[in-house]
Amino acid sequence: MNAVIDPYSAEVRRLFAAPAHAGRLPGAETARVTAQGVDIELFLARDGDRVAALRFRARGCPHVLAAAESLCAAYEGRPVTELRAFRAAELVERLPVPIEKTGRILVLEDAVRSLGA
Amino acid sequence: MIPADTVYLDYAATTPVDPRIVDALPGWLAADGAFANPSSTHAAGRRAAALVSSAAEQVASLLGCAPGQLVWTSGATESDNLAILGAARYRAGRGRHLVTLPTEHKAVTDAFRQLEREGFDVTWLAPSPDGRLSLESLRQALRDDTQLVSVMHVNNETGVIQDIPAIADLCRERGVLLHVDAAQSFGKLPIDLAVWPVDFLSITAHKVYGPKGIGALYVSGRPGSHVAPLFHGGGQQGGLRPGTLPAHLIAAFGLAAGIAAESMRQDRAHLARLRSRFQDAIRGIPGLRHNSPDDGFPGIINVSAGDVDGESLMLALEPLCVASGSACNSARTEPSGVLRALGLDDAEAQGAIRFSFGRPTTTSEVDFAAAHYRAAVERLRDIAPGAAA
Repeated sequence: MNAVIDPYSAEVRRLFAAPAHAGRLPGAETARVTAQGVDIELFLARDGDRVAALRFRARGCPHVLAAAESLCAAYEGRPVTELRAFRAAELVERLPVPIEKTGRILVLEDAVRSLGA
Repeated sequence: MIPADTVYLDYAATTPVDPRIVDALPGWLAADGAFANPSSTHAAGRRAAALVSSAAEQVASLLGCAPGQLVWTSGATESDNLAILGAARYRAGRGRHLVTLPTEHKAVTDAFRQLEREGFDVTWLAPSPDGRLSLESLRQALRDDTQLVSVMHVNNETGVIQDIPAIADLCRERGVLLHVDAAQSFGKLPIDLAVWPVDFLSITAHKVYGPKGIGALYVSGRPGSHVAPLFHGGGQQGGLRPGTLPAHLIAAFGLAAGIAAESMRQDRAHLARLRSRFQDAIRGIPGLRHNSPDDGFPGIINVSAGDVDGESLMLALEPLCVASGSACNSARTEPSGVLRALGLDDAEAQGAIRFSFGRPTTTSEVDFAAAHYRAAVERLRDIAPGAAA
């Protein structure tokens, strides 16, 4: 049987439909990574050692866009060190992201690593 | 009735069953209807057989053939397989060369790939940039040992219409059998098998407002145009496709054909108006590529928006029910082989959307679809790297 079930969780649909953190931050640190058919750009504005604002622009599947939105929403106001410790696995499990798309979420992790590099 | 929370524009995939058929089906299934085995000689069986016979006349009338030239199947996929596998295997002793296009439906291409595994030699003819098969390229591909050519009438992804009469003339001139997948054209465009020298033609009910699970294969019956059966047992339909005939589905197919015969001209005019309206409404979207020719089947419009992820576009287009140009659920999104064969790059093919209209489609649905498509493309481009502002 190849019956198609909804490939998107309610959380992925919610984040995809209203990505409040999509857009650029003028003057912020930026990192852009393109791989696996995904193009992700992150913008980080700091307030001391904290994340003052985190924004993204991305071209990719709904899981990638939802993951980028979830990342930005989760880390604003937290220490930059915690952002740097971000692991894609946490989003893969929480959204969730299908196992075959894990590589795309790793591109997001790479973009975080590239911030301020 | 299409649910109010969706706008169904995927008529090339399948159609809702015509309400007249929905009303008639319970009567055919009832104890005093046509539930019996049409092969039985008792009264109930004869009642079912009469219904099958009447339906065969309706379908045959729309094709310009005789009822006895139809073999009932479960749908176009089975018809394609029966024609291609059946004819190739039946004629294998005369030659093992076959010709088709990579832009055919998977039911055709996968049948040919199976034959390749069985040792047949398949020539995959590239279409012209407009999607059509060049007669000259076909002429050059035909060999002394060519047994079968398979070309679809209307392409399911782009709506390209092949010149079947000319292709059929060439095949007949060279003594090669021709199979036509007419799943997208039956009941929508004129088909005249009394004139077209086609040997096999596949059709299905569910693309013309009939139920799923019933189709037919036209077999001309001219010398040499035989097929080896795929199934065995029972001997029904001359042994070509044994099994108890589903009289209620066949009757529904017949009624769908009868309705199509009456409304074909009106349907085409309706679809042409919708296509024109839709094209006007999406005109001006930057980077838009039209993958359907202006003289293609008017019910199918395939467009690509560059720089937009196809899977995200499909989700952003909800509540539109449309088809994408890719298989989105795999690790690597696979772009449509049809669109790639027409020269689109991976990104263009992957971002392609097929809108297909039908008899019930309204102008307000088309207006909504065009506006929603424009907005979805703009939204995804606005959040992509490199977007202005």
